Order: sequence, then C-alpha cells, then structure tokens
Amino acid sequence: MAEASGDAGTTETTRPTLRDRLRDVVALVDGSLSSVALVSTAIVLVGGLVQVSFGTYTMTVGQAWNAVFDPAVWSSPGLLARLFLGETIAGWLAGHFGWHLDVELAHETIIVWNVRLPRVLVGAFVGMCLAVSGAIFQAVTRNELASPYILGVSSGAGLAILLTLVVFSGMATFLPAFAALGGTAAFLLVYAIAWQGGTSPVRLVLAGVIVGTVFQSLQTGIFFFADDVGVVQSAIAWTTGSLTGTDWEQVRIVLPVTLFVSVLALAGARQLNVLLLGERTARSLGMSVERVRFLLSAVAILAAAGAISVAGIVGFVGLIVPHMVRTVVGSDYRRLIVGCLFVGPALVVGADVGARLAFDPIQIPVGIVTGVVGGPYFLYLMRRTRHLGEL
Amino acid sequence: MTGNDRSTSRPADERTNGDTRSNTASPAGDRTRPTDTAASDPTAKPSAIHGEALRIGYPSTEEPVVTTDRVDVPAGEVTALVGPNGSGKSTLLKALAKQLEPEGGSVLLDGRDVAEYGPKEFAREVGLLAQENEAPGSTTVEELVYHGRYPHRGFFEAVSTADDEAVDRAIDLAGVDHLRESPVSDLSGGQKQLVWIAMTLAQETDVLLLDEPTTYLDLRHQLQVMEVIRELNAERGVTVAVVLHDLSQAARFADNLIAMKDGAIYDWGPPRKVVTEALLEDVFGVAATVDGDTPEGPTITPHRPVDRGDDES
Repeated sequence: MAEASGDAGTTETTRPTLRDRLRDVVALVDGSLSSVALVSTAIVLVGGLVQVSFGTYTMTVGQAWNAVFDPAVWSSPGLLARLFLGETIAGWLAGHFGWHLDVELAHETIIVWNVRLPRVLVGAFVGMCLAVSGAIFQAVTRNELASPYILGVSSGAGLAILLTLVVFSGMATFLPAFAALGGTAAFLLVYAIAWQGGTSPVRLVLAGVIVGTVFQSLQTGIFFFADDVGVVQSAIAWTTGSLTGTDWEQVRIVLPVTLFVSVLALAGARQLNVLLLGERTARSLGMSVERVRFLLSAVAILAAAGAISVAGIVGFVGLIVPHMVRTVVGSDYRRLIVGCLFVGPALVVGADVGARLAFDPIQIPVGIVTGVVGGPYFLYLMRRTRHLGEL
Repeated sequence: MTGNDRSTSRPADERTNGDTRSNTASPAGDRTRPTDTAASDPTAKPSAIHGEALRIGYPSTEEPVVTTDRVDVPAGEVTALVGPNGSGKSTLLKALAKQLEPEGGSVLLDGRDVAEYGPKEFAREVGLLAQENEAPGSTTVEELVYHGRYPHRGFFEAVSTADDEAVDRAIDLAGVDHLRESPVSDLSGGQKQLVWIAMTLAQETDVLLLDEPTTYLDLRHQLQVMEVIRELNAERGVTVAVVLHDLSQAARFADNLIAMKDGAIYDWGPPRKVVTEALLEDVFGVAATVDGDTPEGPTITPHRPVDRGDDES
C-alpha cells in the first residue's frame, strides 16, 4: 500500500466520470440556493437600472433597459472587447478578427455604457470579492466575526493610502496598487507574527488585532499632516470605500481578480468544509493544515486587495454577506460560496444606489451605506438566530 | 521513572512461561484470533504500528510526557490504552497517529517510519478519532461521513463511486443509516459519536485509533460504540488502538491492554494477565478485587482509594 508520494492520488481504480461531476454540481443547487440567486440577481438588476437611469441626464427605466441591452453594443465584439479588455488587447483582437472598435450608438446608450454602467459592474465585482473573501476568512479563522479585514488588511491598505496621498503625493496614480500591496504586506506581517512553528486561528486573529492597532494609529496620525481638505476627503473616501468615479479601467482591474478568486474559492470549498471540522480532524484526514490555511488566506487576501484597489475599504460586506447566505443555505461552503457570489453584488450595488442618489447631488462613500445598513441587519441576525454562536 | 524494567517490551508474556493466550483465548466466543498459534512467541505476531525508544512531549513541556522503549499495537487486534488521568495514554496515541512528532525515537507503520508518509497517504492507512469533535451546525450526517473520503480524493476530484460505496459501508457499519439526512447538531451525544466513527470508517484504513470514544456517552451508546469497534475488527481485520477511561470496559473488549502510569508503560498483554489487584493498586491507586474467571474477561470490584502520598486523582 505504501506509495511513493503522499498527495499524488489514490489507490482506487474507479475514477469519477463526467456524470459524477455533473451530479455533484446539480446536487449543490437546491431550492434555497436558487431562491437566493434569483432574489439577488433581481436586486442587482433593479439597483443597476436605477443607477443607470438617474443622473444629470435622467431617463426612464425603460430607456435605461433599452440602453443596457442595446443590440448595437451586444452585437459588436470589438466594442465589448475594448470596454472589458482594454484598448490594447481589443486593438489586437480587432486586427485579428476584423472587428470594428467604434460603433455608432444612441445618446442614451453612450451615457449608460460609458459613464454609468462601469460603476454598477465594479460594485457587483467588489461585492463578489468581499463576500467570498469574508467567507473564506470565517472558515480559516473559525470565527464568524471574521471579515476580509481581520488579518490586518484594512489597516495596511489604509496606511498605504494615507502615505500615498499625504507623503508621496506625486505617486497618486499608483494608489490602487499601493493600497492592495499595503493590505497584502500587513497580512504577511500578521502571519509572520502569528507563526510559531505553525499558526492557530486565535493567534492569527490576535496578531491581526496587534498589527491593525499599530497601523490604524499611524494612519490616523498621518491625517494631521494633510494640508488640504481635498486630500482629507479623498483619504476618507478611500478608507471608507467609494465607487464614485469608477470607470472601465476599474472594471478591467477587478474583473479578472473576481473570476480567478471565484474559481479558486469554489475549488477550495471542500477544503474549507474540512477545515471547519477543526484542525485536529482536518489533520487526521490527511490535510496539510498550515499549507491549506495559508493558500486559502492568500486567495481571500487577493480578493480583498482586488476590491480595495478599485473601491477602497468597503466595510461590513465581507462580514455580513456570508452570514446572510449561511442562514439561508446552511454552512456547506460549496453552497455558501455560490450564494456569496450572488448576495455580495446585491448588497454593494443596492447600497451604492443609496450612496449615489440619497443625498443628490452630494455622493457619499458606499462604505458608509453598507455600514449603516449592515450594522442593524447584523443585530437583527443576532437576535433572530439562536445558534449564531456556532459556525 | 520507576519500573524501568517494566516499561520494556511485552512483560506480560515474558513473566509467564508458555502460551499465555491459549488458556485465555476463548472467554468471549465472538473474538477471532487469526494468529492463535503464534501466541506463545510474541515476536512472531507482527505489529501494525510500533514505537521505538519514544520520548514524546509537547512544545510547552520541558520533560517528555511519555517515555517508552517499545510499544506495540499488534496487527488485527484490539488494543486498549488504559491508565489514570495524566498517565500519558492520549499523548502516546497522538504520537502513534502522527499528530505529535516524538522528541526522540520513532513510530513505525508496517515497518516504515511514519514521518516518511505524506499526510494523505498516512490518512489512507491510519484513521484517528479525536476525543471531542465539532461539526458546523447544519452539516448532515451524510455530508460529514463524506469528509472521511478526503484522503482518497485529489484537489479537483469529484466524488467517485468508490467514495459512495465506502460511505454507504461506513454508515451501515456504524448503524446510523436512519440518521443519514439529519443535521449533526440535532443528534444526541451518543449518536454524534457513532456518526464521527462512521466518518473515520469511511477513510477505510487498516488501522484505527480512537481517543476515549466512550467517555461522555450513556451506557447503551458506550456498548454500541464498542460493538462497532469489535465488529470492524472481526469483519475487516482492522487493527484498533483505543484509549479507554474505563478499565472494566477495556478488559472486556480488548485483546491487549497497555497499562500506563506516569508516562511509562507499566504492563502490557492480554487483559487476564494485565488486570491484577497489584495493577489496580499500583497504577490506579485503588484497592480492588479482580475475578479473572468470568466469561466476559476479568471483573473488577473496586473498594477504596489507596493512600499513595503523591495522590493526583
């Protein structure tokens, strides 16, 4: 029975067929999950339509619908490629396939597609990233109060944002990258502090608190050196999370991250389930707990960093979305991750409607809305669910 | 360490001349002893797992918690680790299960150092059920048992028919078929334990290690758990090592006992040889009468604690 390599495979002769795989997928989608998906998609659609119809040039929801689903756009691969993949790749593809990059479009379509739709899309992707990231961290730390920011990510990113805006203001164009890097660096620092021949959920969370406290103080300290109200407002927008001014550029940053992270999270769902059985059980089942924990954390950090780089530090989404989904579909991570991919966008897109239109013409950061909505919802969950104490 | 001479291998067999097993082998007729003829020569019976020159401790402890020159878990038999609280039986089990790396010496599975096994490879050979287990609230029994297939599946691998069959067999053997769709959180303590055992059975290992599987259960479930273990051993020839709190239970169900005291092996061998009035006094600090002639294994009637000065329990 002794085989050369431990992880390479099994000794069984029957390998899963395509039918087995399909059966696995179908088994995941039950009534509760599909209703979560349907309701969330409806919220994203309605929120998105409201977003694209209001503004300085207001149109009816019907017009907005027609603009979003304008056949002139959807039948032009060149235009879609330019928007989603960027000028360079689109140009290359267009040359290759003979596509046209520029298409004559109606006025409404131009406004919707060029100005308003990117914000909805970015909101949706940010919601996916944060929800998945939070779900992963809640399993990795075995702590249901964990959020994407629990391991120092928000404070690291915040410090990087403040440093860029106030101290190295010449490099403001790199702010998204710096924010993501700052968050990742803080996470690595947390991991290094927590590591003592291995980690444990408790040590990770404590190290996160330590790093968070120090970085938070530094970040607050830097505010005093800001000499311009504009800089302070910009810093606040970044550190509370805002979708104001997002463009296709941001879509092109966050879209690949979202796809990549979603695939990895879905693939890792079974690992997360086993991790939830506790470290000892996971280890006795043959899991390399430290490695799996670090890799899953890295996926979650990548998701959070992706969201931060386009929207800043949007709070509460990563904390409450996994909770909301869990109360409906249960704690199986295969279903939970799928649910998060739907509910996350619903929350962020919905909240952004409020952030953009509630105090028109003043736009507030979407993070403020998610916080204001998320807090009470969390309280409601706490009151309603008796066994919130268990994951 | 007192009794260094006693912590060496197989004292029970050494102290009595001749065949120690043949005269005690049939107290309970349901016990199968595949290698009865080899009983007089203990070295002929292969060990599934054995430890050599072990020094086992935790990072937080200065001195090793368990020291032993040799420990054997004979293949195809049920071995029970017994001893008072703090005697190191769970620690020893953890080392055998590759959960705790010994500070000195080595643990060998089928003659190969367990450190050489990859994590999943080892989990396909040796199953371990920890003392306390916690599953997320809404996990169903079936979902939990499927996790037992973890070491048999690659990262991107879907469930195979072999997995389905193994899960069915495990659920059947543990007798939890009627609970299949229930959430684990709705079950009683005893039912939970049977379900966790089913998960470990789904690993389909040749060796199964269990840490106090009966401690918090009511009598009925205690017996049910021990039945499952015996059945597993009898039908599939699985080697079992189990930490048991209750010496009488261990004496009744196990083929071998390993009695531990203060981090050393005090004695080991078949229950009838190990369970003596002297052992109860020395190891457990209890004055008791032992009746070795009952058909169900030695019966212990405890009387009172013995004053030992260094009393800890």
